[in-house]
Amino acid sequence: MEQQGALRQGDRVEIYRASGDQRWESYMARYIGMKGVVTDPDVVINDPDALVEVTLEGTGGTHRFPQDCLRRLGTGS
Amino acid sequence: MAQESTCPVREIRQEVASALAQESIKEPRARMRAEKLLVLLEDIAQGRAGSEHLADLKAVARSLTERQDAHGADLGQRILSLLESQGEIFQSHILTRNCASGACDMLAPAPCQMACPSGIDVPSYVALIGQGRYQEAVNLIRQDNPFPWVCGLVCTHPCEFVCVRGQVDSPVAIKELKAFAAEKALSEGRYLNPPKEPATGHMVCVVGAGPAGLTAAYFLALKGHKVTVIEALPMAGGMMMVGIPRFRLPREVIDREVAFIEELGVEFRFNTRLGVEVTLQSLRKEGFEAFFIAVGAHASHRLAVPGEDLPQVLDAVRFLRDVAMGARKRPGERVLVVGGGNVAIDAARTLVRLGCREVTLLYRRSRSEMPANVEEVRQAEEEGVRLVFLTIPVEVMGEKGRVVGLRCLRARLSEPDARGRRRPVPIEGSDHIMAADAVVTAIGQRVLTEGLEHLDLRWSSWDTIVADTITAGAGREGIFAGGDVVLGPATVVEAIGAGKRAAEGIDRFLKGLPQPTMPAVPVRRARLEPWEMAASLKMDLKRCEMPLLGPERRRITFQQVELGLGEEQARREAHRCLRCDICKRCGRCVVVCRDRMEIDALKLGYVGQPGESPTDFRMTSERCILCGACAANCPTGAMQMEDRGEERLLILGGTILQRERLERCQGCGDYLGPSRYLDFVRKRTSGLAQAFAGRLLCEKCARRATAESKSGMSVPQG
Repeated sequence: MEQQGALRQGDRVEIYRASGDQRWESYMARYIGMKGVVTDPDVVINDPDALVEVTLEGTGGTHRFPQDCLRRLGTGS
Repeated sequence: MAQESTCPVREIRQEVASALAQESIKEPRARMRAEKLLVLLEDIAQGRAGSEHLADLKAVARSLTERQDAHGADLGQRILSLLESQGEIFQSHILTRNCASGACDMLAPAPCQMACPSGIDVPSYVALIGQGRYQEAVNLIRQDNPFPWVCGLVCTHPCEFVCVRGQVDSPVAIKELKAFAAEKALSEGRYLNPPKEPATGHMVCVVGAGPAGLTAAYFLALKGHKVTVIEALPMAGGMMMVGIPRFRLPREVIDREVAFIEELGVEFRFNTRLGVEVTLQSLRKEGFEAFFIAVGAHASHRLAVPGEDLPQVLDAVRFLRDVAMGARKRPGERVLVVGGGNVAIDAARTLVRLGCREVTLLYRRSRSEMPANVEEVRQAEEEGVRLVFLTIPVEVMGEKGRVVGLRCLRARLSEPDARGRRRPVPIEGSDHIMAADAVVTAIGQRVLTEGLEHLDLRWSSWDTIVADTITAGAGREGIFAGGDVVLGPATVVEAIGAGKRAAEGIDRFLKGLPQPTMPAVPVRRARLEPWEMAASLKMDLKRCEMPLLGPERRRITFQQVELGLGEEQARREAHRCLRCDICKRCGRCVVVCRDRMEIDALKLGYVGQPGESPTDFRMTSERCILCGACAANCPTGAMQMEDRGEERLLILGGTILQRERLERCQGCGDYLGPSRYLDFVRKRTSGLAQAFAGRLLCEKCARRATAESKSGMSVPQG
């Protein structure tokens, strides 16, 4: 399991694998390997089951991802 | 990047161009057709194509397969196959004027637009604000999002997190600019709805008048469908209205923007709950063919501690809703708010405004782990909210049926667990009672499932509807779902994006069209000339600061805290934009200047070339010789070199990087070029210098002077 702690707004993350969460959809597979920034961790920042809003670099767009597919690359602060 | 950075449009265009260049298509008629194909493909790749282009492309490719030229026929067949397998990408280029892969130079989308969940063409509206064209800016926004003013006040602005200006100093204040333009346009009575398509006769029912439902209603009405919105509350707005306090989002803002949706013919039925006043069956009988379930997440999680059922224990969602509906009675003198998110902060700030003497917010973890927006937390503290960290409530204390306090334990954060998370661990013997006469809980929201059971939909283990987030299809014929009811508690702009996608999915369902399998590429709405300004000014423009109402006034009124930007401030802020819709930041200019010309005048760190120093537009004027190599190699035309009167200028996306006076030929008086450039050329052609005798000469006069010096004769003019 990836050691990352709670994700915060501004953290840089990578979509490093497919999620085991039932809310992972097949189209999201194309984002694996892309990097982005957490734009809304929402109120459940310490809930590993919460979806986290990530804005992907370049042309990836903004999506909510389950946290088990995210790896933190750096903090936003 | 994992994403494909190739594009079938670009690839086939290059293939056709090289077949023509290499003259591998011999037969004259086949060649003519291939030339026509190239024109059509270039139009598509440059955003100049119209609705007829795809049909023409197919027809010409087919006719090419019928010619007696093997190479041409093969090329025609390749195009037909591509149109068959990836036709939607060609279509997307035509409709959106954006190439999501970024491979088509002229259609590379700006990061801010791609980041916006509602797909607003940010660079274009920012440019319009910079030019003082506020009404046009707002009408451009409203082609993608019916709530420019709401978003201008409460959007979480993911666009700003990827704003390229942020790599220079700080991001453009995109959210504040939107609010400015919306307020300006609305106060001048100039909001305009986009034109509606002819009536289709289809009827759609939207369940829930929150941001997702209202947005879906707006776009469906624009597509010509008859839309009815049913809403449990007595007014429209959903969480925008009852979840966000008035000091952040005044009610009038929502009312005005909803009124424009109503103007499109959308009908509202308030105080109407699905599963209570109406059912799916009764609505189907009325003639509705499609349904969009967008009821939000209006229920709260419980603390699950003894004493929680005392009447002075309120959940934040309900408390904020009651206040939004007009309740002004303060719950108590000393109130404790439990939670660390934005809802907890909103509740605490609302309690201050209701006149509570002491408002204390308790959070289980430390300040650095608090999920609430940092700026909102700062404002709450300014207003007198006290924050207490590492405190876990274990029991609500009551006497004679009234809350008298909250028994809490102090906590410390554990070592990170297997997932790296540090949990709050109660400290033994740290029991203490915090006196209070009311408690407000804000530890998360969930979907209220009552009334939705009869829809027979799939629910996730988080009590959210399982629906496709691209089409909003919820797995039953004609039923769609989106917003918080699918995502769980999210943001206003995400709900707007979900409503927009749902409208597309519902429209396709009604028309019997296939559903998309990938998120839509946002549409580039305009191509605007950049605003020109000197490099030094472009660098000096610092991000604007939003003026705020003073804390004294904030403590006693629900007046809007953000006072809005002034016109001068807004226009200056808009001019900070680097126009990433024009410059795709490929860095070719930097490489050419540094490695080919060996001048190294362009200090554009934000283009991400290896070894580049930080961005400083002002540095260019120190070294640039105005040779034009950068402009000649710019694939998008963002870098321009032009002669204006007596001067030559180098301009990047409106930023004047260099300007120099042009020298004249001392022979015939024609313009030659700037002196730095001439010095550069002279160094390269030093062998001829003696013939010029130190004079500046144009090419023609230099040739004559060289001929004269070599022959010893005077060469006649002309």
